Amino acid sequence: MTDDQTTMSQLAVQQRPVILEVSGLSKSFGANPVLRDISLKIHKAETVCLLGPSGSGKSTLLRCMNWLEQPDGGTVFLAGQPLGARPGGGLRMRDKELAAMRTRIGMVFQHFALWPHMSVLQNVMEAPVHVLKQTKDEARATAVSLLQRVGLAGKMDSFPARLSGGQKQRVAIARALAMKPEVILFDEPTSSLDPELVGEVLAVMQDLVREGMTMVVVTHEMGFARDVASRVVFMDGGHIVESGPPDQFFEAPQTERARQFLMRYAARNN
Amino acid sequence: MTSYDYYSIAYGALATVSLSLISIVLGVPLGLGLALVRWSRLPVFNQLTIAYVSIVRTCPTVTLALLIFYALPVVGISMEPVSAGILTLTLSTAAFNTEIWRNALVNFPQDQYDAALSFGMNRNLRFRRIILPHISRTSLPALVSEMTLQVKSTPAVAIIGIVEITRAAIRVGARTYEPLPPFIFALVLYSLIVLAFVKTQRAVERRFAPPGDH
Repeated sequence: MTDDQTTMSQLAVQQRPVILEVSGLSKSFGANPVLRDISLKIHKAETVCLLGPSGSGKSTLLRCMNWLEQPDGGTVFLAGQPLGARPGGGLRMRDKELAAMRTRIGMVFQHFALWPHMSVLQNVMEAPVHVLKQTKDEARATAVSLLQRVGLAGKMDSFPARLSGGQKQRVAIARALAMKPEVILFDEPTSSLDPELVGEVLAVMQDLVREGMTMVVVTHEMGFARDVASRVVFMDGGHIVESGPPDQFFEAPQTERARQFLMRYAARNN
Repeated sequence: MTSYDYYSIAYGALATVSLSLISIVLGVPLGLGLALVRWSRLPVFNQLTIAYVSIVRTCPTVTLALLIFYALPVVGISMEPVSAGILTLTLSTAAFNTEIWRNALVNFPQDQYDAALSFGMNRNLRFRRIILPHISRTSLPALVSEMTLQVKSTPAVAIIGIVEITRAAIRVGARTYEPLPPFIFALVLYSLIVLAFVKTQRAVERRFAPPGDH
């Protein structure tokens, strides 16, 4: 893509509605500040990869987006509505309101977080039936088609303990999709996989990108970020250090810190 | 030892089994409820639960039985020996069960809980559909172990006049001047009861363990 084309596609993305927005977000664990005044907008059908060294605050930022971590300051908006806190202030939403908003944000965890006492099919059907109150038939039909889509139609009655890491993560993705979320948060989805299983999960994620799913992905998979992300956000020390299209970030990083990070990554992989 | 003697000890086994079962049926959910109080750190109730568990765990069952049967009437609460026996054994096992359940709750995998939260499950759903099936499985061996201890602590309530296996065996031994046969028979009965608990545990574990998870 030429620079002009990149700029044009960036402009097109900017004109789409904002699905998820964090504004002035801060979070500390004890005396240790992890996020410092983070602001970020995720537009519809955008794939934003959060990159950065360990401890830079990427996962915490992701977990603040659906309030699995409660931010100390700032606001999260889902399609313009404040999430977690009530409009205009720090007062916490009622659990029921927060739960209702969380159903619109999918999440895929590093260690899969499947429920081990349920079969693959039950894992995917559980929240649609019990949270969204879909009929079992409706939820089963959706779950079956999603499991086919992630290539696990033959494993529907298996239990998580019988699956490989890659299969577990594909089930977790199907489980997130079953809720028909407006955005999916991926927290290092391939970090706990054996190297040969990473590809099958990334392939499913690439399909989602093609289908126009809005995604925020914390990852160490630079190849994925470079090929698939519409935007890369580089974090360090609880700040967003640099943000831009992947071509720009990987070919001509704007900050010294990002250059060091990429050099260190390149050295490790050569 | 006559067949009537065997019958009287076996009849005592009925008391042992009933007292054990009733106190287990009451004590397991009571322990779970108290563990949830501890887990959620409900003010005041949490401190009360800590005090209850600490006191009961350090108090011998026989002393607890005496306290309930002989001392409570002083403050106007009096009850029949059987009720006092059931209360003693229930309070005793519930205290231990509280710690077993609490341990399972504390060790519940955080990411499974986060997943339930992120899917918008409310407190009730999270507990009923995600947490309870998991902690029931992980707590089962310890709960059954406590149940077998419970069976073995039933002779403590003999002191308030309940005739169970051991007390029935003592009676037979005292009457026949041959203590060995009644106590061997008592031992056999205890073994059979404990064996039944352990067998039931294995069956339940097989029934509820997801394939590939054991």
